[in-house]
Amino acid sequence: MSINLGYFISEAAISFKRNWVMTFGGIATIFLSLLLMGSALLMNSLVNDMVGDIEGRVIIQVWIHDDAEYVDIESLQAILEGHGNVAGVELIGKDEALERFTYMMQDSPQIVEQLRDNPLPRSLEVELVDTQEIDGVVSLIKGSDEILRIADSPDDLDRSVTYGQGIVETLLGATQTARYAGIALVGILALVSLIFINNTIRLAIYARRNELSIMRLVGASNGFIRAPFILEGILQALVGALLAILVLLAVKSFMFPGLQETLAFITFNFTNALMTEIALILLGSGVVIGTLGAIIAMRRYLKI
Amino acid sequence: MSDLESRLDQIVPEPQFSPRANRGPLMISMKNVSKRYVANKAALENINVEVAAGEFVFIVGHSGSGKSTFIRMLLREVQPSSGQIIVAGHDLSRLKNSKVPYLRRNIGCVFQDFKLLPNKTAFENVAFALQVIGKSKHVINTQVPEVLRLVGLEGKIHNYPHELSGGEQQRVSVARAFVNRPPLLLCDEPTGNLDPQTSLGIMKLLERINRTGTTTLIATHDQEMVNYMRQRVIALDEGQLVRDQDRGVYGNVD
Repeated sequence: MSINLGYFISEAAISFKRNWVMTFGGIATIFLSLLLMGSALLMNSLVNDMVGDIEGRVIIQVWIHDDAEYVDIESLQAILEGHGNVAGVELIGKDEALERFTYMMQDSPQIVEQLRDNPLPRSLEVELVDTQEIDGVVSLIKGSDEILRIADSPDDLDRSVTYGQGIVETLLGATQTARYAGIALVGILALVSLIFINNTIRLAIYARRNELSIMRLVGASNGFIRAPFILEGILQALVGALLAILVLLAVKSFMFPGLQETLAFITFNFTNALMTEIALILLGSGVVIGTLGAIIAMRRYLKI
Repeated sequence: MSDLESRLDQIVPEPQFSPRANRGPLMISMKNVSKRYVANKAALENINVEVAAGEFVFIVGHSGSGKSTFIRMLLREVQPSSGQIIVAGHDLSRLKNSKVPYLRRNIGCVFQDFKLLPNKTAFENVAFALQVIGKSKHVINTQVPEVLRLVGLEGKIHNYPHELSGGEQQRVSVARAFVNRPPLLLCDEPTGNLDPQTSLGIMKLLERINRTGTTTLIATHDQEMVNYMRQRVIALDEGQLVRDQDRGVYGNVD
């Protein structure tokens, strides 16, 4: 079948040249939809990294009243350390709290200067093993006898025991919405590229109708007649996918280093493995779109 | 009874169906075949025809008589509304769509408009027919020059269709139909675009091909040619088979 392969490729290439405007349109739409898909995948991995990062930083802070007895604090600390999900408990004294505050406010030192005595409370910082299971530890603290004695504001324990409630949930909710919008956009663009490829193949079929009628008459098999058109659809999609991958790689190597400097709090971590995965996904989707577009066109316009 | 039919009856008192028991295996068998494109008018009505392997048959009739439908049904481009057609051992009503190409590899086709590809030379046009059924380069390079020599175009194998006369183009078309040595050759008005002298040449070529054992069916309204060749004639009129005659003439169908 070696001659056949050569025949199919040359037929697809000829058709490529013949309808280059339509072909260009097909490639451009595929390129755009795959570029968006690739960006969405990149952003997705970025957001996942960020969420993981933030989740890792979640700690429970127990704010302690200035008059609280040291024994009560130690007792609570001991209870917490006995819990399986607690990685460590640390008592932050008033001095250390002020130090941290001073560091945070280093851009506006006048705020710190205006403090007469140290108004900052002591606190217990509880680090967790699994931040997903934070509720168990929180209810353990709130349910203990000690907390009522040491808490900053015993009437409202939610203010004394804080752990960034809702931050992770809000973040996830926002990214979820962005993700759905991205999927919808990619879907629409994929549909447009499908229509474009469908149209290109239709023109290719029309341009070759004489050849096709002769092929049918002399008994070329259906697969043989269809193969060049499928190949053409795939070829277009592959070119579009390759362009999208190139652009993504360019963005990764030229834009993100600069962006990383400005947005230091986000870690951009695009490994080669991630880029390879995205490239493969794009190529795969491109092939699927190209094949589908060609098959739809043939079903409608290539009567065998 | 129409005027036409009464005249026919005067010339040919009874349709002559000759006994064909001794003719060898059947190439084509049509039993009670009818075709309706629209509900009330039949393109072909209750046709019964048998053609043995190796025969040379003219199908005559004026435009609209059903000649083309007849040919296209043998190619399974058109399916009959009722009846059974067997071509080269294939029962066409049972033939799956995916198997139709293999039926067509057994049938060579020649048309009035030649159907040559303008951007291919004579050689390439004939080679195309072998190429698309997956024949090797070696087969193509030996068979194509040979068949072009057979049709008398050995000096013009690298000419493009526009550099050839009508008769020469039709010879290329015959070469393409015959290059795969099909057992059956179907011709739809092969001389319709040619002058009488050239037509005669094409007819003689077809007769030579027939003598190699290829069953040959020619749909035509070329009266002179049919009368000259003295072969079996099947006459169609308004979808009816009105005459089937050995060593026949065109008759007054026109």
